[in-house]
Amino acid sequence: MIGAASRDPAEAPEDRRFLSTEEAAALERELLEDYRFGRQQLVELCGHASAVAVTKVFPLPALSRKQKTVLVVCGPEQNGAVGLVCARHLRVFEYEPTIFYPTRSLDPLHQDLTTQCEKMDIPFLSYLPTEVQLINDAYGLVVDAVLGPGVEPREVGGPCTRALATLKLLSIPLVSLDIPSGWDAETGEDSEDGLRPDVLVSLGAPKRCAGRFSGRHHFVAGRFVPDDVRRKFALRLPGYTGTDCVAAL
Amino acid sequence: MSRLWSLFGFGLLVAGSRLPRVRSQASACRVSPTWWGPQRLSSGGRGDPEVMASAQVKLLSQEEAQAVDEELFKEYQFSVDQLMELAGLSCATAIAKAYPPTSLSRSPPTVLVICGPGNNGGDGLVCARHLKLFGYQPTIYYPKRPNKPLFTALVTQCEKMDIPFLGEMPPEPQLIDELYELVVDAIFGFSFKGDVREPFRNILSVLSGLTVPIASIDIPSGAGFKEVGIGALPCFEDGMWRRETLEGSSQTCSSP
Repeated sequence: MIGAASRDPAEAPEDRRFLSTEEAAALERELLEDYRFGRQQLVELCGHASAVAVTKVFPLPALSRKQKTVLVVCGPEQNGAVGLVCARHLRVFEYEPTIFYPTRSLDPLHQDLTTQCEKMDIPFLSYLPTEVQLINDAYGLVVDAVLGPGVEPREVGGPCTRALATLKLLSIPLVSLDIPSGWDAETGEDSEDGLRPDVLVSLGAPKRCAGRFSGRHHFVAGRFVPDDVRRKFALRLPGYTGTDCVAAL
Repeated sequence: MSRLWSLFGFGLLVAGSRLPRVRSQASACRVSPTWWGPQRLSSGGRGDPEVMASAQVKLLSQEEAQAVDEELFKEYQFSVDQLMELAGLSCATAIAKAYPPTSLSRSPPTVLVICGPGNNGGDGLVCARHLKLFGYQPTIYYPKRPNKPLFTALVTQCEKMDIPFLGEMPPEPQLIDELYELVVDAIFGFSFKGDVREPFRNILSVLSGLTVPIASIDIPSGAGFKEVGIGALPCFEDGMWRRETLEGSSQTCSSP
């Protein structure tokens, strides 16, 4: 019993590194239903880990005042909730986040996460300038938490779609949470508003479209997938080191 | 490495990994009710700059800690689940920093997590789950379980991750010393008041005889309680862990 942490030799080799959209949904369902994780727990772990990923690529001591300012663009679905958590942890990590969250979800989780950010004096923009240079000048980097896998751009409304169009033109670094918003989660084909992020932070496990990611850094963030679940989905995740909640691919 | 840390009212008290193990001392416990007050760190003799630096961090009284919690829940709309997850994760991180797997003998290192009947126990359940993910082999003893979805869900998460739950407390400290390299005390937290009832009275008594290190979540369980009388959990004084009162001693804490 004790000490037998090594791989079972009878185990089939896992070389799958990506999940399809259905598999990602099934994995989440398993965690929520069989493991009785709460959605709030998983969103918190993902958001916290996303913030940690940002600190790995853009470590605070190396940043100027302007570079510490982060614009976090949140959609109305789960990806946006993760963005709200990420913004809060960035604040705790002493970055200066600002949130653009134009289409607000009514569900209690989103509302509570919004309150937490507001109470921590994280400003919420009432509109996003369309002049790209204004954003380039005001912020050091942008976090895209608009669309997650399986959410169509048309579902999230005009303001989000317009925001994505603006983000596509930015010259400051872009960090996308889970999938680059606007990409097809399966094929990685970008729609008209598809982004080209510098950093992709896959939540839990990479989605298929990550195969087409060609930016600078790709992380898996959110260290909560139990071994049994990982094996069940025949998933090979990068090794996390020590107590890290992010791992570079 | 070691500095006092208090985030949103949660803290962790651990022995630094470079400290020697303590031989069990059978001295009676003089627990002071003033432990909860702002701590005056003993000056002189303790040259460790990190211990001295901890003088700048404020320690919370029980009332203050409760007030912080209340503000977080009422004003900030944090949920218990959220904060418990962050607390447990941070504790596991701190423990892993203080006792990295490479510093312990077994592979994976074995840890006994003792969870009390309230939120401190919940923190322990979360902590155990993250320790498992970090490569430890935790076992949980959770004798009194609140019948609330928050706690039953946390138990399910641990069970599904093959973390065993003991049916009874090992009756002798030596048994624990033999099987586990580290014990996590998640029995009582800062809101603890009143008598220590069984089975926790017995549990604290067994723990007071341990030689393996104990990491206490938030406060050493039983501290500040006059009537335990049986050796409260270890405190750090003069560079060594002692089984005596915490009054007037400095604490070494790990940050997450």
